[in-house]
Amino acid sequence: MAVKASSSAVTKTAARNRSELPTEPVVVIRPSPRWAALKLGDLWAYREVLYFLIWREVKVRYKQTVFGVAWALLQPLFAMLIFSIFFGRVAGIPSDGLPYPLFVYAGLVPWTFFANSVTSSGNSLIMNPNLITKVYFPRMIIPAAAVGAGLIDFTIAFVLLIGLMLFYGTFPAWGIVLLPVFVVLMTGLAFGVGMWLAALNVKYRDVRYALPFLIQMWMFATPIIYPLSLVPDQWRWALALNPLTGIVEGYRAALFGGTLDWGMLGISAGITLVVFFACAFVFRRMEKQFADIV
Amino acid sequence: MTQHRLMQPIIRARKLGKQYRLGTSGPEARAVQYVTLRESLVDGIRSLVRAGHRSGRQAETIWALKDVSFDIMPGEIVGIIGPNGSGKSTLLKILARITEPTCGSIELYGRVGSLLEVGTGFHPDLTGRENIYLNGAILGMLRHEIQTRFDEIVAFAEVEKFLDTPVKRYASGMFLRLAFAVAAHLNPEILIVDEVLAVGDLAFQQKCLGKIGEVSRDGRTVLFVSHQMDLIARLCGEAILLSNGRIQMRGPVSDVIERYRNLETG
Repeated sequence: MAVKASSSAVTKTAARNRSELPTEPVVVIRPSPRWAALKLGDLWAYREVLYFLIWREVKVRYKQTVFGVAWALLQPLFAMLIFSIFFGRVAGIPSDGLPYPLFVYAGLVPWTFFANSVTSSGNSLIMNPNLITKVYFPRMIIPAAAVGAGLIDFTIAFVLLIGLMLFYGTFPAWGIVLLPVFVVLMTGLAFGVGMWLAALNVKYRDVRYALPFLIQMWMFATPIIYPLSLVPDQWRWALALNPLTGIVEGYRAALFGGTLDWGMLGISAGITLVVFFACAFVFRRMEKQFADIV
Repeated sequence: MTQHRLMQPIIRARKLGKQYRLGTSGPEARAVQYVTLRESLVDGIRSLVRAGHRSGRQAETIWALKDVSFDIMPGEIVGIIGPNGSGKSTLLKILARITEPTCGSIELYGRVGSLLEVGTGFHPDLTGRENIYLNGAILGMLRHEIQTRFDEIVAFAEVEKFLDTPVKRYASGMFLRLAFAVAAHLNPEILIVDEVLAVGDLAFQQKCLGKIGEVSRDGRTVLFVSHQMDLIARLCGEAILLSNGRIQMRGPVSDVIERYRNLETG
């Protein structure tokens, strides 16, 4: 639907006095063209709704739990313990010279964010049908809020990562200044995949059941519990096609001062960008049906 | 020119139409809510096999709304009535931008607040205070607008003592009062109200009606859908009668209601 300059300039007095109606319509409702614009600016225009939905997610998530926000830490922490025992100790998977717990936790922090964000944004539309059928704001806000809430947990888990590094006597390398780049890539990828799955989920409820499986497969296709160096050279390119590979490897290189593989990072960034815009486009195409089929 | 501007409508709907496909979506087909991927794949393969001769499942369509044009002047309170399935809720949903029209257009010369449900987005685990902010934002209020109206909302809902209690512990009447209070303090130029007034006890309904009357005296425009003819008659000056997706009649509320009653009885 086309919105012409949704203006807040229309004041109350304007409506009281009919001679002061704006000459241009505030909103024009008509069938949208087949090739809808992405209108990513909506995320900014409706930032207050976005803010409150993120806030709701965060507040509600840990209500009536004993550990509260600590769950944001416990999740990757327990995963770290289990992986350290089974893969680090028992299987003896190498970890690029780092203590295995530190190595795996550094991978688990972005991974936990990604997995949780994709899962919760993928289910966000079908979990909140009333936000679709009873009110209007850009639908993209709903999966975006799920990703935004994930960023809060990510931040908490990341603080512990820094603590863990200090505990193991590793100081962050200069590469840490590159960290925001990886956060942006990771967020964009999670948001893109999440909103695509959310739109698909409205139409095909199969997504809800396939999602956990997809996430699990994706984890093993990403160098989280094993280092990329374990993969034979001739197969590296296949892993590079998974944009998370470059992102997770980037996190480790930025934190622990390894050599950054710029080629791989470039591929990951490129694929992330393509995935994001393709997903946003599909979402826009599908969103006009949401209210009718959810 | 000035003459024309004085008579300018605040809502201008032209040749609106909304088409639903039967069996896949729309209010007529609620039983079949979503397709599974398998069904889609099977259908896709079927249509590939049968390519050339178009047969099989020709989707049946229905026009829930057809050729609907009207103007609403600023400050008018217009009731929309009609039998079930006449297109009332489809019209509201298009006005509220929840669903898109298939054809036609609506120009809106003011901010729209739509109240198709009270308490949209309310979360049972959040407190009354938290839900006021959340629901306000979802309905389109800005944070500072909510802040300035906060005390008014609380007083209207009569929940002062329970502001910091999760709303799941509220009595259902209290919950509805709070939900309506937030919505009632949305201050748009155009207010679209579905049958949300059928909530709460009698005293509170009176209060809600009073609030809607107050809103209209402020010069704001209200579109109001209801099955309760006495409500429509009391609140609205004009009414639109919809039937089978088309406008049957538009005029003074008493005339339209009479026509509707004739339609109902046969």
